[in-house]
Amino acid sequence: MSVDHALDTAPAAAPLKVRFGGFGNALLLLGIWLALIIATSLYRPDFLSHQTLLAVTFTMAVVGVLAIGQGIVAMSGGFIDLSQPANLIMSSLVAVRLTEAGLPLPLVIVGAILAGMVWGAVNATIIVFARLNPVIVTLATNFIGLAALFLVFQLAEVPIGSAIYQFGRASIFGLPAIFWPMLALVLVVGYLVPRTRYGRRMIAVGGNRTAAKARGISLRVTRYATFMVAGGFVGFAAVLFAATSGPFNPGSANALQLNIIASVILAGISLSGGRGNFWMLLLSVGFLSTLPTSLVFFGLSSDTQSIFQGFILVIAVAIDGWRARKATP
Amino acid sequence: MRKTTRAIAVMALATPAILGLTAVAEAQDKFKLGMMVGGNTCCEWMKAQGDVARALAEKEGWDYIELSNNNDPATALKNAQIMVQEGVDAVIQFNGQPSSNPAISAVMKQANIPIVTYDIADPGMYFVGIDNLGAGIAGGEGLGAIIKEKWDCNPDLVVSAEGAAAGIVNEWRTGGMRTGLKNICPDIPEAKWVSFESQGDAAVGLPAARDLLAAHPDAKKIAVVGLNDGGVLALINAAEQLGRADEVIGWGQDGAFITGDNVNPHLAGSVFYFLEGYAVYAIRDVIKPIAEGNVPPLKADAGDPASKVQPCPVTAEQAKAVPDMPERIAQLLAAPAGTTEFDLFCPNKG
Repeated sequence: MSVDHALDTAPAAAPLKVRFGGFGNALLLLGIWLALIIATSLYRPDFLSHQTLLAVTFTMAVVGVLAIGQGIVAMSGGFIDLSQPANLIMSSLVAVRLTEAGLPLPLVIVGAILAGMVWGAVNATIIVFARLNPVIVTLATNFIGLAALFLVFQLAEVPIGSAIYQFGRASIFGLPAIFWPMLALVLVVGYLVPRTRYGRRMIAVGGNRTAAKARGISLRVTRYATFMVAGGFVGFAAVLFAATSGPFNPGSANALQLNIIASVILAGISLSGGRGNFWMLLLSVGFLSTLPTSLVFFGLSSDTQSIFQGFILVIAVAIDGWRARKATP
Repeated sequence: MRKTTRAIAVMALATPAILGLTAVAEAQDKFKLGMMVGGNTCCEWMKAQGDVARALAEKEGWDYIELSNNNDPATALKNAQIMVQEGVDAVIQFNGQPSSNPAISAVMKQANIPIVTYDIADPGMYFVGIDNLGAGIAGGEGLGAIIKEKWDCNPDLVVSAEGAAAGIVNEWRTGGMRTGLKNICPDIPEAKWVSFESQGDAAVGLPAARDLLAAHPDAKKIAVVGLNDGGVLALINAAEQLGRADEVIGWGQDGAFITGDNVNPHLAGSVFYFLEGYAVYAIRDVIKPIAEGNVPPLKADAGDPASKVQPCPVTAEQAKAVPDMPERIAQLLAAPAGTTEFDLFCPNKG
């Protein structure tokens, strides 16, 4: 399936109300999240503790930033970026190496973001010029990237005691320091996307490529920008990942993919493009980060957690399909 | 004159053919060792196992072929078939997914090719490896000694960082550590023993470790055992992030994160197997005798192995004297034939 075909068969641009989400979806997701919290608290009252809050918010931080990147790709009609794990590890490796070279944390952050953007540019170049399906391209670049990373390193870790290591263990206002940038980014991106020229173009291209083209929007430029910006978010997530993960290997981020895609879909960001609200990511990422913690309080094993998460992904995809059909005039 | 020219021409044409035939005959005479490494996409030591085997085979003047099992049973079986096609004289393998071992054994038996397997026994293969249960118990006893001294055998929690995918090896090592700890501190109540799935990876196991700590919010004095150093580090890092690392003491297995200048201060010890150097045992005790025509009896049982690798439990302090893996390999390859890394580097041979 070519990118043209994929985008041409995407549903037409939905009305604004649908695109930016009503309160219904948010209330539903919030209700499910609260029900989970209440049920767990009834079973184990000590669930409502600062330790639980820390565990959940730590998990939210990395997944949340990655979900922003994934959401941008999805909203622009690129479906999903399956190369996020390889990009995350590559950018994390850059962060580790820059830290080892003695660079201050701000420069480490800039370096990792640039590395992520370069990765996004590579994806965009292949997708735009070879006119290939983004899902297939990013699946391939993920394989290529991971294989190349295995040739470059087996294990990496930020130096214990370095600024980035301290950042990964610091807290601000009782929550992990790495949580706040995620929160800020979700809020800012959620505010800017429907209100800026680039954001509106991204939504237009995702909603209806033909109509966007007719309005004079450069599809190539938009796609390039989309993948580079999304890559930049992966680069920043890599800083948070490297700061907290301890020693990691090229395969250490593979397990994140399922949660990120589920978060995006649950947030109502359509994989077929043109619809979604980034603020909803706070609810979906929060819910999906709370779920494994709750299951541990219920005494369930990791295997059971995977079953729950798999079911949630299936339900989320079904809801996404239902939303797409509903939004099609 | 013409005859002389003809003779020279014939000789000139025949020389390469004779040289080629000689080379073929030499190659056919040369002992050929096949190595099926566990995978190149997991751990530094898996790749290093192949590097050491290659270097030792070259020292012996053997031909050497290496394939990666990719941590996949089907790939391992396919690799065995390729080894047969390549006409190897003997094979060494590490197969972390041993479900295909019986089939590999059958393939090798049919081709009359002896095969050595590391660490996970199979009835048709020479067993070379560590006593994983013994290594686990030794590590658990090392941690127990510290727990007894510091907490009078009264921790709030004992956490096992499991790696279920490692199957029986996980049960031996992690279970062995629990047994070793109980040998020193027999009265720790059952309710204090908890587990999480670390997958043997510090980064992958981290969220589950945080969740486990959140579910035990009152535990302060926490002892950690596990399949390997990575799994134990997952819990230690989680405790640091939740502000509870002050009284966390971990003891790992495999020695992957106990050397170098980036050792977490809460990792109190580990057990070295010097996995990268297993080929010394395999070649010294099995492959070289086969190459010399003295085929040793098949010893396939982990309890009565063809060659036993000694575990080396060390405290973090003792581990400072142990070089990192690349340096260990360099010194191993420079040492006299048959010298093991245990001989060279274990600071705690008793």
